Amino acid sequence: MMKELYFALYAIKKNIQSSAKLRTSFLMNIFGVAVNNTAFIILWGFFVKSVGIIGGWTVADIIGLQGFVALCFGIVFSTADGIRKLANYTASGSFDRFMLSPKNLLVRIATSSFGVSALGDIVFGIVCLGIFAFLINATIYQILLIILLVIISTIVFLAAAIAIYSTSFYFTDSSSVTDSLFELFLTPSLFHGGAFQGVMRFIFTFAIPSLLIGALPVEIVRDISLGKLLLVSVLAIFWFVVSINIFNRAVKKYESSNFMTFGN
Amino acid sequence: MNTYSITVSNLTKKFSFSARNASSGWLKNLFSPETKEIVAVNDISFSIKHGERIAFIGPNGAGKSTTIKMLTGILFPTSGKVNILGFDPTKDRKKLAYQIGTVFGQRSQLLPNLPLTDSLEFFGVMYDMPEKEIKRRIAELVELFNLGSFITQPVRKLSLGQRMRAEVAASLIHKPKIIFLDEPTIGLDVVAKKSLRDLLLKINKDENTTIFLTSHDVGDIESLCDRTIVINHGTIIKDLPTQDLAKTFVYEKYINLVALNNFNNFPELPEGIRYSSKDKNKITVVVDINKINLQESLKKLLDLFEVEDIDVYNADLETVIRHIYERD
Repeated sequence: MMKELYFALYAIKKNIQSSAKLRTSFLMNIFGVAVNNTAFIILWGFFVKSVGIIGGWTVADIIGLQGFVALCFGIVFSTADGIRKLANYTASGSFDRFMLSPKNLLVRIATSSFGVSALGDIVFGIVCLGIFAFLINATIYQILLIILLVIISTIVFLAAAIAIYSTSFYFTDSSSVTDSLFELFLTPSLFHGGAFQGVMRFIFTFAIPSLLIGALPVEIVRDISLGKLLLVSVLAIFWFVVSINIFNRAVKKYESSNFMTFGN
Repeated sequence: MNTYSITVSNLTKKFSFSARNASSGWLKNLFSPETKEIVAVNDISFSIKHGERIAFIGPNGAGKSTTIKMLTGILFPTSGKVNILGFDPTKDRKKLAYQIGTVFGQRSQLLPNLPLTDSLEFFGVMYDMPEKEIKRRIAELVELFNLGSFITQPVRKLSLGQRMRAEVAASLIHKPKIIFLDEPTIGLDVVAKKSLRDLLLKINKDENTTIFLTSHDVGDIESLCDRTIVINHGTIIKDLPTQDLAKTFVYEKYINLVALNNFNNFPELPEGIRYSSKDKNKITVVVDINKINLQESLKKLLDLFEVEDIDVYNADLETVIRHIYERD
């Protein structure tokens, strides 16, 4: 276990070094994403200011929502960007080299690539959550809740990414399918919780875990709801176990191919 | 102690895919496509002893890469058993990985943006080697593979020959007991090929590493492998010492006839002799000595053609291999 963890951290370090070698693209990627996200939240700010509170959601809540989603997106797709490349790995046959590794397959794939642009999401997410905490006059207890919920929503996000990108093993040239499925998960997570009521709330909580990574964490911090915290925690564990199971079954479908590939 | 590195019994791999049925409409093809199945590897069995050097050859699509991928744990067999150093690759993939090295000529495993030394270190850490041991082994491989002049260069800046040497060195960092090489000399010039073959022979001799090689290059087979397994249509059609492979068609003699002037016509040849190539300056014929002996065939050929020079020889290994593929 410790050897696996040591190698995973070592692989991430090497990936960062590798990305940083291309300095201009490294910095432009981080800066570009941060600017893009900021523009997005400014739009939401103007929107909420003009129409007032939407379904009980204030500007502060929306900033918090964007912060949670951006932060777990950034953490997963910076350190474990290899998951997002699964469709490419399986189509080209470059997945072969992971099968030849003496390490845990999923960890090896996840840490095979570093998403530089996702660092911009991390920076943006931290700033948003800081503003959110400031605007709601967060107590120490709420700040600790925010930290705990970042961990939980990151687990859910990682699980969703693993489950979605594992479908790559079932289709040829699956990148458009996996990208669409991922959008189906991610896009609803960026809308405030007031937009999801009744059946829609049920679907996007239990069937597609979009609300677990943003809307529900904000509601938990805002309302200090231990019931919802328990629900989100249980669902996070459930999704994590299910996603690993899906991956382990899917990988047996791998058929390799003989395209020429180079490097990581 | 088990003397075999690799034991394969009745190994089969089938692939299924959707095929378009020309007689059905596109809608039916979209929602209810016909499924076809191809047998890439069909019930093959063989064993390889520790330290053997095996050429696993066959034409394109014969099942070589599929077999190598099943032996290394990349693909799951449809049926049959594989035992590599006591491990079943489908169940003990991680344990097996510590014991084997792999080189795919068409696929790099190195870190492209970082210096080569980082890639070697990366592999060392991946195989849980202590830091001191990694440094010692890197120094050993740098000397053996003559990597010193480009060890600090980013991998993407290396020439193909340098990169292939680096790929093999990286695959040997953990001193594997078997090294699988899938077309390791593809695209290399003659000097780089020889250098790589010499290094593999040295590794085999010094560390008793079993070599399992697929290649289309006859030079790799001739100079590197003591045993050759030929596969075609997923089935093993020959398994014999490489030196015996060249004798497979020993009953066929090749005769080059160089024209005194020009060959103007090409008459029908006696039974047992056939044209291999026809040119106005030179004719090559193949004599089946089971049907006509060499002396008799030379007499008949000299009656038919006016020649300045004659050369009699056995088929080279490349021709032998081509014959084996064509016959099957």
